Amino acid sequence: MKEELCIKCKGKGLCGRPRCPILENFKSVKSSFPIISGNSIFGASPPAVFVGSYGYPKVSAGPLIPPFVKSKEAAFLEEPSGWGNLIIEDIISMRSSLVRANTTFNVKEAPGKENPLLLKAQELALSKTPVDTEAWFFKAPKQELKFDSVLTPMGPAGLVKNFEIAENPKVPKKVDYLVYDTDALAKDAALELYRSEVAPEQISRLFSIGLLGKKRKLVPTRWSITAVDDMAGKAIADKILDYPPVSEISLFSGTHFGNHFEILLLPRSYAFELIETWLPKTVWSGDSSWIGEDREGPDGKKQYSSLAGGYYAARLPVLEYLAGIKRQASVFILREITPEYWAPLGVWVVREGVRKALQNPPETFPSIEVAVSKLAGRVRTPKTEWVQKARMLSDFRFQTTLDAFF
Amino acid sequence: MLKAAINAELLKDSIAALAVIVDEVRFKISQEGISVKAVDPANVAMGIFELRAEAFDEYNADECEIGIDLNKISDLLGLADKTDTVKMELDENSQKLLIDVGGLSYTLSLLDPSTIRAEPRVPQLELPVKVVLNGLDLRRAVKASEKISDHMLMGVSDDTFYMEAKGDTDKVRLEMGRDQLIDLKSGDACSLFSLDYLSEIVKPANKANEVTLSLGRDFPILIDFEIANGAGKVSYLLAPRIESD
Repeated sequence: MKEELCIKCKGKGLCGRPRCPILENFKSVKSSFPIISGNSIFGASPPAVFVGSYGYPKVSAGPLIPPFVKSKEAAFLEEPSGWGNLIIEDIISMRSSLVRANTTFNVKEAPGKENPLLLKAQELALSKTPVDTEAWFFKAPKQELKFDSVLTPMGPAGLVKNFEIAENPKVPKKVDYLVYDTDALAKDAALELYRSEVAPEQISRLFSIGLLGKKRKLVPTRWSITAVDDMAGKAIADKILDYPPVSEISLFSGTHFGNHFEILLLPRSYAFELIETWLPKTVWSGDSSWIGEDREGPDGKKQYSSLAGGYYAARLPVLEYLAGIKRQASVFILREITPEYWAPLGVWVVREGVRKALQNPPETFPSIEVAVSKLAGRVRTPKTEWVQKARMLSDFRFQTTLDAFF
Repeated sequence: MLKAAINAELLKDSIAALAVIVDEVRFKISQEGISVKAVDPANVAMGIFELRAEAFDEYNADECEIGIDLNKISDLLGLADKTDTVKMELDENSQKLLIDVGGLSYTLSLLDPSTIRAEPRVPQLELPVKVVLNGLDLRRAVKASEKISDHMLMGVSDDTFYMEAKGDTDKVRLEMGRDQLIDLKSGDACSLFSLDYLSEIVKPANKANEVTLSLGRDFPILIDFEIANGAGKVSYLLAPRIESD
């Protein structure tokens, strides 16, 4: 198979195979699967729900339940911001304890009045804190993992006969209010939740299980994650256009699970460019390296990014940073994916990686040439291979602005 | 106060010419006509637009300023016939523009002008060279360049005006002598411009029989043309790329 196709597709199925062979390989990664005795499990859902995309519009969906895990420990399973000090193996083994209690639904069933299993999954998704849940399966769930480019790994899956929530979910006021608002568009509801500082994980959970918007539908989890990153990003980008530009050229740097980030802020109007360089032997690249680029100007992006969910996940934290310092900037990010990123962990790696890099103290530079040579020295891909794709860097150096002619 | 009637196609073209630069603009309205000055968010291109009272079939106005979302108005004009007359009336109390066209009456909410970027200052430039050519020729050269590069060079050597684009391996060049141009004031001029901007700018210029380019060396270009049979004017100022290495 063409390796280039794999890196662009990242498991979406562009090659026509029913299942992605790269992702199938990861299913059997050795991991500590939960012990499931008999056909039922009991544990505290973090809470988490999963909506598949395979077979759309008939998808499998349901809650994620870690057997024997208590409320106190469960929340951590859905909190990527706390995983900074773990290693990839830890994350896989931790997440493999999450059993998917699936049922097949049509996405249009989301208003959910008739289907009691969907109603219960929605009830669980509303909660801010873990919810004790018991599930009964037709057959004991299969001991295998689920990996995906956008999703965080998950454990065994089984077709569920029934499940029950054993305690009352704790529903934040704002969430309660917007879930009952069937006149607000999903986009506006999601934004309002984001502005009220509801965690993005919870927003995409509500969105995917069909609890937001006018015409409600189940939305596959991998789509809902990127949709929330994009909606939140767009809203901030609109706002920062009114702020003055940053005053100097600054560079942030950081590494997260084998993903290295170089983030350059340039004193110009808002624009965003991401270059991804995949070194050989990473999850999607096979034996050759691959370099991709995508960008947007102050008007934002019209089409879905060629760099897929990672583009929106990288953009959001920088925009949050700029909104925080009340400045705009032209933002250039180089993301280098090294072989140390050996298993796909989901786009949170990008979001958290950029967020973490922005917490490091920046270096400032008198000229873009110096900044770029510093940046290039810290990545393994030779500068000549990526620099001609970096439109923003050449625009910043060569494109004058009208202010220069007064 | 504003009460006016104007040909739909002319209004459509005027809106399209402004939309090249920004999505939201402040219209300055006076007894003499309507004018706009706007700069794009990246500060690279500026548009200066005026439509005098003579361009309208009917025009009555006092000095005021209104904020307009260009996408909204061009959407609604999309339904109008070329020969339709658009009637507009400003309701200052409710900040709405009432628009009548082709039997449809719209009430368009205006934007608060103070939320739109203020009118920019226009740099005073000494541009030694003037080239007057047909809008179609300009558009053709830009289209050819787009196929090869992201930038286009414009300049004059002796009595020849040239437009040139260089890609990694390929090159395209269009030369026009005095006899092919409508007018030429020769001098020292050679500047490079981003096609991202030029491609958009030449679209409205396409319809103009005479487009005036004012150029210098590594200096902004001023692109001027008339609309509404001389009762209006559109000018663009575009900052150059300066590639010294």
